[in-house]
Amino acid sequence: MSASTRTRRTRPAQFPWDLVGLVLLAVAVAFAPDLLKALFGRASVSYLSIATNALSLSILALSWDVLARTGQLSLAHAAFYGAGAYTTALLARHADVPLWIGIPLGGLAAVVFALLLGAATLRLRGIYFAIATLSAAEVLKAVVHHLPTGIAGGNAGMNVPTLFRPEFIAGQMERWEVAFLRNEAYFYVYATLLCMTVLASILVQRSRLKHAFTAIRTNEEVAGVMGVRPARLKLLAFVLSSVFVGMLGGVEAHRVGSVLPEQSFSVSTTVLALVTPIFGGLYTTLGPIVGALGLSSVQEGLRRVFSDGYLIGYGVVLVLSILFMPRGVVGLVGGLLRRRGKREAGR
Amino acid sequence: MDTTLLVQALVSGVLAAGLYALVSVGLALAIGVIGIVNFAHGEFFMVGAFLAYQLFVTFGIDPVWSLFIVAPALFALGAIIYTSTIRFVLKAPELNQMLLTFGIGIILQNLALLIWGGDPRTIAGITYRGIGYQIGGVSIGLVPLASFVVSLVLVLGLYWMLARTPLGRAMRAVAQNRTGAALVGLEVNRVYLVAFALSALLAGIGGVMIAVIQSPTPVVGFAFTLKAFAIVVVAGLGNIRGILFAALFVAVAESLVATLVPNGDTLRNAVFFAIIFAVLIRRSWRTA
Repeated sequence: MSASTRTRRTRPAQFPWDLVGLVLLAVAVAFAPDLLKALFGRASVSYLSIATNALSLSILALSWDVLARTGQLSLAHAAFYGAGAYTTALLARHADVPLWIGIPLGGLAAVVFALLLGAATLRLRGIYFAIATLSAAEVLKAVVHHLPTGIAGGNAGMNVPTLFRPEFIAGQMERWEVAFLRNEAYFYVYATLLCMTVLASILVQRSRLKHAFTAIRTNEEVAGVMGVRPARLKLLAFVLSSVFVGMLGGVEAHRVGSVLPEQSFSVSTTVLALVTPIFGGLYTTLGPIVGALGLSSVQEGLRRVFSDGYLIGYGVVLVLSILFMPRGVVGLVGGLLRRRGKREAGR
Repeated sequence: MDTTLLVQALVSGVLAAGLYALVSVGLALAIGVIGIVNFAHGEFFMVGAFLAYQLFVTFGIDPVWSLFIVAPALFALGAIIYTSTIRFVLKAPELNQMLLTFGIGIILQNLALLIWGGDPRTIAGITYRGIGYQIGGVSIGLVPLASFVVSLVLVLGLYWMLARTPLGRAMRAVAQNRTGAALVGLEVNRVYLVAFALSALLAGIGGVMIAVIQSPTPVVGFAFTLKAFAIVVVAGLGNIRGILFAALFVAVAESLVATLVPNGDTLRNAVFFAIIFAVLIRRSWRTA
């Protein structure tokens, strides 16, 4: 559609909560490390690492949600993550590529895989789509597993150089502050990645893409008749959904210091990617982030109480969410607020 | 190419197909009758295996006899899970149903990991495990042979039940038209309950067999969920009769790859996924 045929929007201007939220998020993460350091001192090193995990989960969950908005429930996000991680690791190992090239190339590799997968699965719906994506992810895992050991390390994986090695300067800082500086640097990288993901999600939600995605999700044939191009937009959703996850995989490879087939392509990555938005609230920007913060807190709590088996908690959360709040935390709270608003308006 | 090796691979594949069919037919029953794609199906299988293990370790019950304890126990477990969760999402979107069973699977698997740990568990000291027959250089173990026969009998029994008995007729009626079945006086919910519990029972019996054939870990459940999915997808979702042939195809393909490809043993799972993916994609593009 050309710009000239576009009608002017006549709906009343709404307060841009989403953009304000993004700015608030950016400000919050900008000050978070210093705040943690001031509040907790030495313990902030591990808190910062927990916060980084929460950011990582947010990126994963929000990316998954963007694809889900078109009705495509992917079980392949572990493959996007793994493709990014392995590409970055391979580049670092064999080509000595600097990270600011290696990590975006990791994202690119995830996009390429996602486009191939998306094109192949264009005609699959619902459960068939889910099973096909899961299979593709597992095949990719097996392929990586069986690459010659000289290239990708096979079962044992590869070591990846860790980034950010701040120097310890005696007299000016304490020992733990070195670890703090390193964690802080990673935290900012993850935060940047999250802000990019949030921005992409907001842009989708503010543009007509939102309605196109919803139309495809609700009824693809009807959407096609209405002038939406399902194939093209579904692939676009695949790109948006994989690029940040691929980059996340790349950064995480550097942070962890190694890549392994079982770890980089773990089914639990996929599980987390879908449980989190469902818990938080599907098809929104806020939901997956709320879900990620909620689940990370729950997980930390459970991990402190039970050393093993905290994954059971995830299962319970998933089951209870579906049975009692199918629209997630955000949907539940939103519903309660609206009901209260109506009651007050009626008075 | 060594012919004996090839025949051996074929025979092993056929023998494995029985167990695969048994597990998959339960999954197909849940999908075909209730319309629930059960991602926790393999966990019933795993629970069956570890119940048999625990019965052996604690009470010294031979797996052959523990079949008669595990089967009703799994039937009960299936019934409990249906009544407490599945029942409420029958009309929910497909995604919610799928994720619910996914969640149940995560809970069962991690509970088992918590109880039994991640190490393989062997039912040690059963005399009949080592018995095997040699026919022209091809060896056939007694246990795989017995599991094949039992599985085949059970699968054929299920086919007979679906075709001839009132319960089977009720299941087919409910599968075809839920409202219509209710109108002619069938208690749809009870039929669903029985179908789901039966599907868990069949998986549980398969689990007892795997506990004797292999040394399973709690992760075996998810692997079998995926295997069962491969078979069900090859047969066509909801097609119960096609399961036997699909299981044969998938099991033989797996066995051939494991034997013929160097290092093929670890590629086994990839075979399943490649089959699922290829079949799904091919079907989706063929019917234009």
